[in-house]
Amino acid sequence: MQDRRAVVITGVGVVNAAVVGASPALGAWLARPRAAACVPVGGRPAARLPEATLAGLIDPAEARRLSRVCQLTIAGARVAVAESGIDPARGLGLVVGSELGDFTSTIAFADGYLARGASGLSALLFPNTVMNTMAATTAIAVASRELSLTLNVPGVAGELAVARGAAAVAGGRVDAVLAGGVDEIDPLVAEMLGALGDQPMRGEGATFLVLEAEATARARNAAVLGRIDGVAWRSLSARPWGVGRRAASRAIDAARACAGGAAPGWVYGSASADTALSAWESRVLRAALGADLPAASLGGLLGQHGGLGALRVAAAAWTARSGLLPGDDGAPATRVSGPGLVHGLARGGGHVALMVGAA
Amino acid sequence: MRRVVVTGLGAVSPFGAGVKAYWAGLAAGACAIRPLTLFESDGFRCRIAAEVPELTAGSPRRSRADRLALGAALEAIDDAGLADADRGETALVTGAVGGGMLEAEEWYWARARGEAPPPGAALRAILPGSHAETLGHRLGLGGPRHTVVTACSSGSVALAEAAELIADGVVDVAVAGGVDAMTRMCFMGFNTLKLLDPEPCRPFDKDRRGMSIGEGAAFVVLEAVERARARGARIYAELAGHGMTTDAFHVTAPEPEGEGMARAMRAALAAAGVTAGAVGYINAHGTATPQNDRIEARAIAQVFGEGRVLVSSTKSMIGHTMAAAGGLEAVATVLTLTQELIPPTATLVTPDPEVTFDCVPRVAREAAVECAISNSFGFGGQNVTLLFRRA
Amino acid sequence: MEAKEVFDELKTILVARLKFDPRRAAEVAETTPLPKGVEGSIGLDSLDFIELSIAIEETFGVVLDESEELTAHFASFETLARFIVSRRGAA
Repeated sequence: MQDRRAVVITGVGVVNAAVVGASPALGAWLARPRAAACVPVGGRPAARLPEATLAGLIDPAEARRLSRVCQLTIAGARVAVAESGIDPARGLGLVVGSELGDFTSTIAFADGYLARGASGLSALLFPNTVMNTMAATTAIAVASRELSLTLNVPGVAGELAVARGAAAVAGGRVDAVLAGGVDEIDPLVAEMLGALGDQPMRGEGATFLVLEAEATARARNAAVLGRIDGVAWRSLSARPWGVGRRAASRAIDAARACAGGAAPGWVYGSASADTALSAWESRVLRAALGADLPAASLGGLLGQHGGLGALRVAAAAWTARSGLLPGDDGAPATRVSGPGLVHGLARGGGHVALMVGAA
Repeated sequence: MRRVVVTGLGAVSPFGAGVKAYWAGLAAGACAIRPLTLFESDGFRCRIAAEVPELTAGSPRRSRADRLALGAALEAIDDAGLADADRGETALVTGAVGGGMLEAEEWYWARARGEAPPPGAALRAILPGSHAETLGHRLGLGGPRHTVVTACSSGSVALAEAAELIADGVVDVAVAGGVDAMTRMCFMGFNTLKLLDPEPCRPFDKDRRGMSIGEGAAFVVLEAVERARARGARIYAELAGHGMTTDAFHVTAPEPEGEGMARAMRAALAAAGVTAGAVGYINAHGTATPQNDRIEARAIAQVFGEGRVLVSSTKSMIGHTMAAAGGLEAVATVLTLTQELIPPTATLVTPDPEVTFDCVPRVAREAAVECAISNSFGFGGQNVTLLFRRA
Repeated sequence: MEAKEVFDELKTILVARLKFDPRRAAEVAETTPLPKGVEGSIGLDSLDFIELSIAIEETFGVVLDESEELTAHFASFETLARFIVSRRGAA
C-alpha cells in the first residue's frame, strides 16, 4: 500500500435525542451516559428528537425549505465545522452515510398525488425524494465544494462514511472532509421496519466529524481531538439481510495494518437487541483480536440510526483521550488505554473497521 | 498510484439486453423514447420515456431494478472472464437512486385503495443500497461493497470510487456501475418541475425544451493494469482519471457559470496527466434542459476552448437513465475509443448558436480519438467527469 | 373573483404549499416583493416559483405557459393578483 497521510479529527457535531453539541457536550454525556427518552413511533419505542430541540437549531427562514432529516444533517454538520474552526473555502469534502434517507418527504410527495392527482404534487418536496438531498443541502449550508458523497448501506452507514472520508484524506485526494451519518424516524417507516422483523431500537439524529490531514491541521493550530490511524471496509459472506457464519475478518486486519499493526485495547461495536447479529459480531471480534476486549455499543442508549456509527468514532476519540470506556445500560465505565477499534457489522455482511487513537 | 483499466462491459438499455444491442442502437442513431407503458401517465404534460423493452435476467419476484442490475453485472463479469476464485476479493460499487421504488409504489398505491398488502419483498428492496446486497450475494463478491447516491451522477461516481480502491491498492479488481428502473416518483417529479419535453429530448438544439426519462443498468469490470496484463485479459481502455466537485449552489438549478463543471473536467485532466488538447470527444451530460446544455457548453468552452472537440449526448437516444446514466455513458465512451465511432446527438435538428461545438448531429461519425471524457452533472450540483484513454 | 379574495388565497398557499409560518404569512403585504435578492422580499427562489405556479393552476384554474414571460407578474402579490384576475376574466 502506498504512503498514506495521517488523519486527525478536529471537530465533532452531535444532534440526537440524548445529546446536542460539540465534543465537550459529547464527552460530558459519555462520562455519565443517560439513555435518550423514548416515545412510541409506529407502534415501537424510539429515541425521537423533540421538535422544540430541532427548531432551536435551525433558523425558521432556512427551515422552511429544509426537510426534517436535512435539518438534522445541517445542524450536526455546522456544529462540527464551527468546533474545528476550518475555513471551507480552503477545500472541504462531504461524506454522508444514511440508512433510510428522507422517507418522510417521499411519502408526502406520493400522498399529494394520491389525494389530488398531478396538481397535488409538490415541486419543493421532489428533490428530497433522492437520498443525496441531505448532502446537497448541507454542501450549500457549509459551502463544501470538493467531493460530495452519500452512502446508503444497511446498518453501518455512519461508520462507513467516516471510513470513506478518512480514506479520502489519507490518500491525498482532499485535505479536509466533513464525514458523518444521519437518519430520522418516520412513523410509517418505523411501523414497516417492525413488520419486517427489524429488532434494534431505532433512534435518529446526525453526528459529523471534521477529518483533516494532520499536517494541515497542525499548520493552522487546530485543536486535535483524536486520530484515525487505519480504516477498512469489506463484506462478510451472508444472505441479504441475513446473518453469516464465517468469522474471519479482513477489514479488522487491514485497518490494523494501516495503523502499523497496532493492537486495539477496547472496542466500540454494533451490539444491539438483534441477538443473532450481535453473536456473529462477537465471534468475528474474538477471531480477529484473540480475546473478548472491553466493548461498548451505545445502541441501547441512543437507538440505531446513521448518526450512531459516526458517533462511535467520536466517542472512541474521547475514550482514547480519557482512558474511559462508557458502560452500556448504566454499568460503570471501564478503564482502558491505548488505541481502540470502532467496528461495524450489519446484516448482509457490511463490515467496517476503524483504528482510533489519541492525538 | 496504480493504473486502472476496463476489462469487462455489461449493459441493459432501452435498446435491449446486452452491450451489443446497446451499441448497435447508438451507432445507428436510433431513438428509444416512446409512449410510457409501465404505469399511468394521465394528466402529465410529458407522457413518453425510454423503457427497457423486456427483462431477461433475474426472477420475476425480484424488483425491476434488481433485474436490470443483475443483467448488466452478469454480462460484465462474464465479459471480463473473472474467475470464481477472484470474486472473493472483488469490490462492488453501485450507483443507485430509485432502488426498488417501482414495486414499493405499487404496494403503497394498493394500500391507498384500501387493500392491505403485506409488507415484504417490495419494501425490503426499496432502498438504493439493496442492489449491492443482491448483486454482492448472487455474484459472490466479497471485497469492499458500498452504494453511492449522488442523483444523476451516481453511476459515474461508482466508477470513480472503484477506480480509487484499485489505484490506492485496496483491491485489484472491482465491479462498478449504476442502475435505475422507471418509477412514478421520478417521472411525476420531473414532470412537476416542468423539466421534461413532451417530445423526445433534443440536447444542444436551439429549440430544446427539456429531458426525457429513461431506465437501464450498466456495469464495468475495472482492474489494476498489471493484473489484467498478467492474466491476458482483453483491455478495452484505461480509466485514466476522474474529477468530482460540488456546486453547493442550489438543490435543483446548476450554478450559472458552470464553475463546478469546469473544475471537475480540469481535475480529470490533471489526474490523467493529459492536456485538454488530447481529448477528442466528450460524452456530455446533455440532458436537453435549456439550462444544463447552455451551462455545460460554457464550461466545456472554458476548459477545451471553443470548437475542436466533438461533443454528443447519448441521452438523445436513451433519455436520462438517472443513476444508470453514468454507467451507460461510460460504456458508450469506452466503445467510442475501441470502435472509433462517435455516437450522434440523434435528435439534433437546429444546433443552438450559443453552443460552439460540433455536436455530431443525427449520424454517428468515424473518428479515432486518443482520450474521451464522460460528464455527469447530478441534481444538487454533484459534478463528475471520467477520462478514458485508448488502451 | 375579486383581487382581495385572490390575495387571501395566495396567503393560504404561502402556508399550505410554500411552508411559511402562518404568522409570517399574515405579515406579507400586497406590495411585499416576492423574489429572493430583492430588498425586503420574502425570499422566493426558482423552485418556490414552480410550486407557486402549480398551486395557482390548481386553485384558480389559470394555466401558466412557461414559454410566456411571466416574471413581472410574480414581483408581488399585487401584480400576481391582477394577473390572475385578468386571466380568469379572459377565460
